[in-house]
Formats: sequence, C-alpha cells, structure tokens
Amino acid sequence: MSNINFGIDLGTTNSAIARYENGKITLYKNPVGFKDTLPSVVSFRKGRIQIGDKARELMLTQSDNVFASFKRKMGSDSTFTVPDWENPLTPVDLSSMVLKELVNFTQPEQPKAAVITIPASFDTIQTNATKKAGYLAGFDEVVLLQEPIAACLAYSNSQSLDLTEVQHWLVYDFGGGTFDVALVRIDHRELKVLDHKGNNFLGGVDLDNLLVEKIICPKIEQATGQTQLWRRMLSGEEADCKKLYFELLFKAEEAKKELSIKTQTAIELDIPFWDAFLDIDLSRVELESVLRDKFEESYQLTEGLLADNAMPFSAINRIILVGGTTYIPYIREQLGLRSGIPVDTHVDPTTAVVIGAAYYAGAKPMERKEVTAAPSTTPQNEPAVEIVFEPHSKDAEELIAVLIQSPFQGFYRLTRADGGFDTGVLRASSKITEFVPLLEKATNQFTLYLLDEHQNIVYQNTSIAITNGLYNIMGQPLPNDICLEVDEEAGKTFMERIFKKNDILPLKKTVYKTTSKNILKNSDEKLIINIVEGNAGGMIGSNLSIGYIEITGKNLPMDLIKGMDIELHFKISESRDLSVSVYIGALDLEINEVFNPHQRHVALDKVALEINAVIQEIEAEMNDSEDEENFTYLAQLKRIKDHLIVLHQEALEGAFDQSTDRKYQLDEMKRLTIQAYDDLVRHKHVLLEIEEYHRTREALESYLEVATPKQKEEFEKIIRNEKEVLQSNNKYMIRQKTKALDDLYDSIYMKQDQRFYNAFYYYRFLDENEYTDTHKFMKLVALGETAIERENIPELKAICYQLWDLLRVKPKSRDEWENFDGDLGLK
Amino acid sequence: MEALINQFFEIEKKSLEHQLPHFERNFNRIHHEFTEMGYKIVNPLGQPYDERDTALEANLMHPGAKKITKVLKPIIYREEANGYVLIQKGVVIVE
Repeated sequence: MSNINFGIDLGTTNSAIARYENGKITLYKNPVGFKDTLPSVVSFRKGRIQIGDKARELMLTQSDNVFASFKRKMGSDSTFTVPDWENPLTPVDLSSMVLKELVNFTQPEQPKAAVITIPASFDTIQTNATKKAGYLAGFDEVVLLQEPIAACLAYSNSQSLDLTEVQHWLVYDFGGGTFDVALVRIDHRELKVLDHKGNNFLGGVDLDNLLVEKIICPKIEQATGQTQLWRRMLSGEEADCKKLYFELLFKAEEAKKELSIKTQTAIELDIPFWDAFLDIDLSRVELESVLRDKFEESYQLTEGLLADNAMPFSAINRIILVGGTTYIPYIREQLGLRSGIPVDTHVDPTTAVVIGAAYYAGAKPMERKEVTAAPSTTPQNEPAVEIVFEPHSKDAEELIAVLIQSPFQGFYRLTRADGGFDTGVLRASSKITEFVPLLEKATNQFTLYLLDEHQNIVYQNTSIAITNGLYNIMGQPLPNDICLEVDEEAGKTFMERIFKKNDILPLKKTVYKTTSKNILKNSDEKLIINIVEGNAGGMIGSNLSIGYIEITGKNLPMDLIKGMDIELHFKISESRDLSVSVYIGALDLEINEVFNPHQRHVALDKVALEINAVIQEIEAEMNDSEDEENFTYLAQLKRIKDHLIVLHQEALEGAFDQSTDRKYQLDEMKRLTIQAYDDLVRHKHVLLEIEEYHRTREALESYLEVATPKQKEEFEKIIRNEKEVLQSNNKYMIRQKTKALDDLYDSIYMKQDQRFYNAFYYYRFLDENEYTDTHKFMKLVALGETAIERENIPELKAICYQLWDLLRVKPKSRDEWENFDGDLGLK
Repeated sequence: MEALINQFFEIEKKSLEHQLPHFERNFNRIHHEFTEMGYKIVNPLGQPYDERDTALEANLMHPGAKKITKVLKPIIYREEANGYVLIQKGVVIVE
C-alpha cells in the first residue's frame, strides 16, 4: 500500500501544495506565473472563473465578483451569490475550487488523496466542511492536520531532530492577513496542540498600508506641499491620487523587503502631476515604529496563551516561525529578546505548513485501495476534439479554434507553458474560439483542458505549438548562409554566421565585436569588415564577398585601440540589398554602407591574403598526410596549391590594376579553386574537429564533479545544442564549441588546489638557469616540498607566485594567447 | 539577475521620461546581452490590458480599466531547456 504523499496548505490568504518522495519534499510551482503559492481568491466575471493572482487583481475594483478569505466562513451557512451562476456558492465550493487549482500544479500526476491543513481553532463543523471541500475537489481520501503541528513537523524533520524528552514549542504564525499562536507539546515524536490564540484580522498586508500612511505620505506632503494625501488616495475621487496609491503600496512592499536585509533604503517617485521627482529615504527604525503596535498585539496574545496554560516562557524549548511577516528582523529579534527563547529560523516560514503537511503525508498510508488505471490516451468519456490553429505566425496574437464533435457539457481552459497566459475556466460550447497572445520570437506552447460540470479535467492536449517571428511564411528564403569574417587567431580567420540559409527575408541583426589590433590614426593599418555569402562551413576564400568595408587609419578621428567595442548592424531587404552599419562607440564613429547584389567589390590585396592563407594550410595538410602515402590525394593537393600560387602572384601584380575586369575573373577563380580544396578536405577536417570535441567533452565530464553548481549549469548550456552543431558540417562552429568547453575546463581548474601542485612541479623541474636567483630558487623548492608534505595550500600558492616571479622568461598566460593581433582587426 | 534587470529597466525608463536619447545605443547593447544570456524582457507600457495575461500583476484603477499606463516592474522570461519560463511578473497600473 502506498502513502498519501501529497500535502496541502489551504490558507486564508494563500495556499500551496507539496509532495513527499524518497525523503525529500517538492514544492509545486503554479504553472501559471510560476509562484510557490496560490492566493486563495476566486473571481467570476462575464462567465470567466479565475483562481489566484488574476482573481485577486479584481478585489479592489470589482469586489462583488471576487471572493476571498472564505476560509474564515467555513462551516457557516454563508453563501456567495454569483451573477450568471445557478446556485449561490458556499465556502466549501470556493475552497474546493482552490484545491482543484492546486491539483493542476501537479500535472500530469492526479493525486487521489491528500493531507490538508486546518487552523488549530477549527471546530468539528469547520473540520468536516474542509473534508467536504477536499472530496468535492476530487480526492477519494482526505486527512486533516492542524497547521501548528504541520509547522513543527517541517522544523523537526528538516533538521532531523531526535527528541527523546518532552518539549514544548510555540508556533508563532504571523501571516498576510491573520495571526495565530499555538502551544505544542512534543512527547517522543507525538505532537499535540495544547492551546492556541489568534486574531483573524492582524496580518502583514496592513504593514504596507501603515508604512504608506504613517511614513511615506507625510514625507511626500512635506516635499510637495500637498495635504490630506492619505485620505485623498483612499477616497478615489482624484484619479492621479489613486494611481499614486497603487505605486506607493508596491514600493512600500519592496522597501519593507529591503529593510529586512538593510538598515536604510530609498524609494524614488516621479509624480508628473505635481511636477515632483522625489527620493524618499526610509529606515528600518521607521518601519519598526509602525510595526511596534502590531507586534505588541501579537506578543500580548502569546503571553496570554502561556498565562492561560500557567506556563512561563522558560518552559518553552523553542519558538518556530510561520508566515511571511516573520521575515522581518524586528519581529525575530523582539521575540527572542523578550521571551529569552531561541527562535528557530531554519525553515522558510511561508512554506513551513505545506512542507510539514507533505512530511506527514509521506508517512501516512492510504486507507482506500489505490486503483491504478492502465494508462490510456483516450479515456472512455473523453470527448472527440479537433483543434485548428496556425503553427507559424508573425502576429502578436493568433486564433485557436476548438471543435468538440461529441456532445459535451462543461468548461474549457487554455494556458501557455511559459506561465504568462491563462484564460481561466470558461463555459464550453461545441465551437470554442480564443485569440491567444504570443511571446515574440519564441515557440508558444499551449495546453487545452476540457473540464466536466464539476470542473474535473476530462481532456488535455499539450501539443498546440505556435511559433512567432522565427519563421515568416510570406517572404523569400535566403539561398545561402551570410557570414561575417572574423579573426580566430594570428593569421587565421573564420566565418561567423549572421543569417542562416533558408531564413526568410527581410532580415536584420546586430552583433557586437571587439577590435583585435591597434589601428593608429593616419596609419595604413586597416579594419576589414568582410561579409560573404556561401556555406558557413566552407573556407572563407571559397565564398562570395557581398559586402566589404575597409576602415583605415586615415578614416579615424583618433587611434583605434585593441579591445574596443564595435557594433555591427546588418540588414538584408527583400530585394537582397545588404545594408551594413558600423559604429565604434569609443570614437563615436558611424559608417553606413549599402551593397547591391550587382555591385561587386573585389579588394585584390584581400584576395592575395586569402590565397596565401590557403596555400599555407595546404602545405601543412601535405606535411601531415605524407606518411599515409596516399599519392593521389597528395597529387590533388599539389595541383591546387600550384594553381593558387599562380593566382597569388597575379593578385599581387594586379593590385594596382583598377580598370579591367581581370580582378573579378581572378576573384572567381580563387573562389572555385579554394572551393575544390575545401571539398577535398572538409569531411576529414570536420571529423577531426568532432573527435577533438568528444575528447574535450570527455575530459571535462570526468572533471565536473569538482565544478561549482554555476559551472555545471554552464556545461549544460554549452552542450544544449551540441547535436545541431556536430551535424552542421561546419568545422568552425564545432571548434568554437570545443573552445567553450576548454574555457570551462580551465575555469574549473583555476579554482582547484591541484593547480598549485601542478604549477610547483612544473617550476621545480625547470632548469635552474632559467631563474634569476638560483639560491632563492633552491630555497623556494625546499619550502614548497615541505608545504606539500603539510598540505599547506596557501603557502604553496605563495611559493608558486614567487617562483614565477623569479623566472627570466615568463610562460605565456592563456590571456596572452588570446590576445593576438588579428589580420582583419575584428574578433 | 532579476535585480540587475530591474535596475536597468528603471534607468532606461528614467532616461525616456527625461528625454535623454543619447543612451539608446547603450540600452540596445545591454538588451542584446540579456537576450544572449537567455532573458526576454517585456515592457507592456501602453498596451491594452488583457485579463488573461498571467505575466502581469495589475492594479486596476476602475472596473473598466483597459490600458497599461504605468509599469513598475517589467516582465522577465528566461530561456530554459523546453522554452521560455516566466521568472518575474510585471507589475503595472491599468487605467
């Protein structure tokens, strides 16, 4: 028999659900908005039922349609009349709606039993009403647990306390809207609420209002000369004042949180209607001044509780905290100081109750027999549904049409997976249409739910995906990749893809680069921006240059220093005009160029440079392949190389010929010849890069166990699109990926003690003549060996730095390797 | 990171309110960096308010409030393995 495992805190202000599994508690997040808790508020407006945050939004303006704090009325005969709703609703009905919404958090799991918490003050009728709400929400089994007991369980289990003697704990629960204090007796892990006291209208929400009224408003009045501000804000007669009230309430809450960590904070207010821009200082002392009375009230209740039970504070072993208001340092300090009892702050007070409920549920066997239904994609009562939508869109919203073919009575709901959209629950007809908003440049995943008359889910479809902006189905596709040539290392460049083949025109993109060499004002040095069209995986020379900008020292108003930022904005129109805008912020220099497909630019010195780079590469390839004795391959390489040598010579000679077509012919021949070489070697080179990638990844994986969580996260991020990159047939992309892994490996290594051992042995076995002072070198070596023996890492570290300092020629650091001078000046 | 984005949002907002256009490039650059880091920042100022928009915490000025006239906090999404996820709700005033 399995255990219940699910725990629910059905709170007056907020509710939450958690699960116990293998000794751990998982707190479920709301899939709509991704918060841990759900406001216990339900709204009914124009046939739309909303539960939680969106319902709470309507409380101030449409209170007739919004129901909150109904927990206080559990077990009473109070009813709530809802417009367009057949029968009035009871607190049990509303609570069951909140419970159902919490169950939605656990999708795709459908808990059939749960532990639900109730206040210690609940009588039998209220307790039974809560049970009924649980059954209405679809649970077969409901076990109730008192909130103070749940909180004690959370604190004791999370710290694995082994309580062998009788103890008394005080549960001090200061929530958003209510205050409760309970005295709990713990006897050999048996927990019992001995007594409790509370005030249903004392909570943290009031604190934000008090902060606005007592502290912030007087300061605004003083600065602006306004009077009666608090009253004017609440009366709602002046729209500007009402708007200011919402802003102040939000800022007061933020300031309250800040003052929990700092002693001073400030809020900025821009009040255009009074032509005022205010910077209001707030201190923790001020917050405490408005809090004091509230705390006193809660403390008197606590003292009263102990007096009623004839117990002094000294008989209490610990105070445990529940509720968001207990985050405030003043409350924690005062409680500890005045009672003289340790205040336990180990557990998040806002989720202590639900966590305790889950612990209890994890140990509580289900009494009703669990019926495990065979997984079925089409349950018998599932309606036949057809969903119509446009999978690609460039609009801000799209239509989703749902046709329910079988007779169906009930409701529907549509949500977006990123948490930013929810229709709420609406009455369904045979044809449902919803215009849904789309998140820009993203795949928007929607889920459709159909619910029966009792709002239980009977159908769910998660496969509604609408992609916005990434595809534009009306335009022309780009026939080839468009790339920017950038420096890879000294003497080598590679192509960075700006736009991908089959991207749809028009396109635009901004990239940020840095300069890779110094270009002095008035010098002949130049910065080259070369945009090519072709295959991003091929060699630069084999592609067609479609945009070329040279910025020489003569164009510069001042020196361009290595490392400066360059902003490049690319735009390709539907007629394939390429516009490039270059902006160098440090010089405030902007250059704009438009290249048309029929205007070809060939820079012969650049052509010569490209040819030369390939000749060198072929020579290296021939050297590497000599041992394989593949003479046909070597002959092919040599033929290409000879051809390129001729072209290189011509490019150099023709550098001054600006009048004939020869340079275009030369450029075309260069392109075709390099393409022939590229075709010959690409497959082999890509395979080598893939092998290198796998080697690096394996090495890194074996090292990951010593990495920090952030570094592990970084690793996951790098390998996320690994498959796509490895299958790209683009050696440059694979190489970049390998480099990212290498850099990560280095950053992990730099945080390990091991690196000082390695560095020491490296320095230790260098020739003594490489050091400026042999005597000192010997001494440091002896000291280093002792430090290693004693595992004294700080000392070893200091010795390594000393040895480095003594070296005549310092080894190059990784930064220096990275700090090469590039051919183009752009990396 | 949310705190950093919120501060950036405040600076951008102030510069717009005080008509200081010369920071535009810098703002675009910072936006670009946030995007590269997987964050999507949405400022819904001036947009019609949609009651189904759960990425917003709205302060409604009156029952027929329709338009977002003030944004106290922007909406922030973060890209994760299965797409974007809302990490901060926008806080707005709707009139």
